[in-house]
This record gives sequence, C-alpha cells and structure tokens, in this order.
Amino acid sequence: MAIKFSNTFLLRKLHQITGIVPLGIFFFVHMFTNSKAMNGAANFDKAVKEIHDIPYLLLIEIFGIFLPLLFHSVYGVLISSEAKPNVMNYGYGRNWFYMLQRATGIFLFLFILFHLLNLRFGLIPGLTEVAVAGNADKAFSIVASDFQKTWVLIVYILGVIATAWHLAYGFFLFAVDWGIVIGEKAQKMTLAGCAALAVLLSVVGINAAFAFRSPCGLMPKALCEAPAAPAKAAPAGPTKF
Amino acid sequence: MTTNAHVEKKRLENPPSTIKFKIQRREKEGAAAHWETFEIPYRRNLNVISALMDIRKNPVTIDGKTTTPPVWDMSCLEQVCGICTMVIDGRVRQSCSALIDDLLLASGGDTVSLAPMSKFPNVRDLKVDRSKMFEHLKKVEAWIELDGSYDLGPGPAISNETAQERYALSRCMTCGCCLEACPQYGDDNYIGPQAIAQARLFNMHPVGKTTIDNRLNGLLDDDGIGNCGNAQNCVQVCPMSVPLTKAIYETNRDITVNALFGWLKK
Repeated sequence: MAIKFSNTFLLRKLHQITGIVPLGIFFFVHMFTNSKAMNGAANFDKAVKEIHDIPYLLLIEIFGIFLPLLFHSVYGVLISSEAKPNVMNYGYGRNWFYMLQRATGIFLFLFILFHLLNLRFGLIPGLTEVAVAGNADKAFSIVASDFQKTWVLIVYILGVIATAWHLAYGFFLFAVDWGIVIGEKAQKMTLAGCAALAVLLSVVGINAAFAFRSPCGLMPKALCEAPAAPAKAAPAGPTKF
Repeated sequence: MTTNAHVEKKRLENPPSTIKFKIQRREKEGAAAHWETFEIPYRRNLNVISALMDIRKNPVTIDGKTTTPPVWDMSCLEQVCGICTMVIDGRVRQSCSALIDDLLLASGGDTVSLAPMSKFPNVRDLKVDRSKMFEHLKKVEAWIELDGSYDLGPGPAISNETAQERYALSRCMTCGCCLEACPQYGDDNYIGPQAIAQARLFNMHPVGKTTIDNRLNGLLDDDGIGNCGNAQNCVQVCPMSVPLTKAIYETNRDITVNALFGWLKK
C-alpha cells in the first residue's frame, strides 16, 4: 500500500521546515549583523551596505524571507487557535512550553509586523520616517534615534527574547517531530542544549540593541576595541629556530 | 514511582467529620449540565467510588433536595479496566484508585469535585461514551493479520528488548486519560496518543511490520500524528505508564524514513 499524505500533515511539516531553515538561519544572520553595531556606527553601516550589495537580493528577500515568514506566521496562528491550553490543571514543564510556544508565536506575529513597518519601511508614526533599507549610510543613526526611546528599546528586547526562545524550542520540536530525538534522556539533553541556545541568542540580541545606545552595548569595552596594529615586522636578522 | 516499590500511604492526621462532593450532573446526552453538592461522613480508606456508593444510597444534596442517584461507570475496581475514569479535582484519573485522604491532602480542603471527561460525549452524570477510541484503533489497523488457511508455524523470534517495550505499550487499557489531558485533542482534529501507541505496538511486531504502511497511512490523515503538540501531558497522566511520547517519536522516525524520504529509495 502506498503512503498517502494529508494536506494537514504536509502543511505541518512545511511549517516546521520554514521555521528552521529560512527563518532560523535568517535570525542567526540578523543577530550577527546587529552585533556589528558594537564596533561603531561606521562598522554597522558598512554591514548594511554589504547586505544591500548581495546579488539577487530582492528574490532572496521575497522567497527566502518574506514568503516563508508569511506562511509560518499565518499557519502558526491557525495552529495556536486549535490549542486548548490546560496548564492550570496540568502544570507540567513541557505543557508550559507548549503554551509558551504559541504565546511567543502570537506575540512575534505582532512584533515582527511592528518591526518591519518601523525599520524596514519607516511607517510607524512618531518613529523614524526614513527606512533603513536603501539608506545604508544612515542605518546606525536611524536605529539609534529610535532606540533612544525607552519603550522602543523594551519592545525590541522583548522581541529578541521571544524570538530566541521560539526558535530554540522550535529546534527541540523539530527534533522530536521528525523522529531525530526519541528517548527521554535524549529529549532532556536536547532541551538543555536548546535552552542554552535561547540564552545565548537573547544575550547577543539584547547586547546588540544596547550597542545602539552606547559603544559595545553592555559588554566590557575591551571586547570592541580595534585589535592593536600588528607590531612592525621584526628587523631583518638571522631567523632563530 | 516504580511499580514494585512499597508506598507508605499518607493519611490525614485530623480528618474532617464530613466530606463534600461537588458533582457535575447531566440528565442525558445533550441536556444542560449543572452541579450538585453532597455531604457524607468521613471514614478511613474511602476512595471516590466508595464515596459515590454512599451518596447513591441517600441522594440528598447539601441543600436538602432529594435528587436522582449519580450515575458512573465502574468494573474492576483495581485500576486495570479504565472504565471509571473521570475528572477529579480538575485532573483526569481512575476514581477507583483515587483515595479521599490523598485528594484532601493535595487540595487542603474538605471538598472533592467530580466531573465527567470533557473530550468524550457525556452520556449521563459521570458516564461518558469512549467508543471514539475504538474507532481510532480501527483507523490505524491496530492488529496483526495472522489468519491463514494452513498452519503458519511458530512466529518469528522477538528480541527481549523489543518484547519489553511492546509489553509496556500493550498495558494500555483505553481509559482515555491521555486524550482528556492532551491540549491538542478535541473536536475530532487529532487522533491522539492512545491510537499512535497501539499502532507502534503492532509496527514493532515482526509480522505487523509487513503492513506498517497501512498503519502509517491511518496516522497521516488530516487528524493524524502531525497534530501532536508535544505538550507531553499524555505520558504524565497515563496510569499504566505507557511510554506514549516515545511511541509517538518512534513513529515520527518511521514516517520520516519510510514515508517522507521514501521516494529517495525509488
């Protein structure tokens, strides 16, 4: 008998893949780029410029980010609407994580919408009217002026924490839903690894946000100092071995 | 808790003289539900069923109103048949093994609430119709084709490890606890851990393996295994300690290897 897949099953699998491959990778790259703000405005503006110079950028944006994001978020909200949370009566850790995955998902739906309108398109009233996209030379100063407002900074910090957790726990869910991780012990180890990843991504993301307010963010300044110029080549002489 | 460890029962040091039972009543399927409270004298070693029997003898509510005796299902009275499953103080479990002392120690009060499972049609009072679970077993073909027109001889050997795991899965008594506690189960949109674990039980059998595609097909439908949300309540509430999540994830692996990437073998 041949295997037949239902639409629901295939959509669920697609939902999991879109979360990990395009969106997960995008988030890592995004946090890496943001962190370049630690080393100064010029460094960050250069990073944005480099993104602008990626070949096929528009196609990558549409098929690699926007469409997967649209599908993942809309189908995710649909999945969340089917949930019947019962953490009050069954307050187990994984049951809380189940609810948290849906709660962060719905929060991120709103946050990412805000984030796109704010910095990608410059359409949020009261905040920047100049979009970062297309204005690489002003990128740092646009973000920095919005991040001077405490509430904006808080919204972005919450967004980073929610994304970090949603993605890291998403890795765990992917691992069990595709039958990669099976036993209880393996689950515990995977979950610990995912929690560590969530903390790491949160710290990196939050620090990058603060880097728009003060150089190097919250990290010790020594981390961001330009490496000392290499010492002048030793005067020519006999090489000692 | 291991099954063979001796468990020292905790007892109430100063038990109340009477205990109240808040019971959800429903006259018949489709009728509106309401709550009634009864009060019975406390005695040692009461469980929920013996308390219900006391109430049945004299079905007068706490307000002095004479009512119909509460209806519930029971059979084995030793937590192996699963039929007396109900929601006790908000949590699903068998009423035969729910000791009043334990319940009062956990809640700290003198009232126990009883409701029927919410994910099954409520026939009357605490009685539900669990035939959906049988339909699910049929859907995943939870059996092995063994009948032949001649003697097939002894079956293939099974490793001790597989036999042990299959035994754990075979303990399922179809009580419905896992489905009641599952935040994804309900409205017929998810087949639930019970049927997945039984499909796994027969997929692990050497003869059952020959028809694995039929069982996987039963699990790949719109209400199939893909709808598991990994809240893992099922394995927490299972009174028979059936390794439900392991069965789900093993089946996920079967699906990934045999179904999703099956085309790579062609």
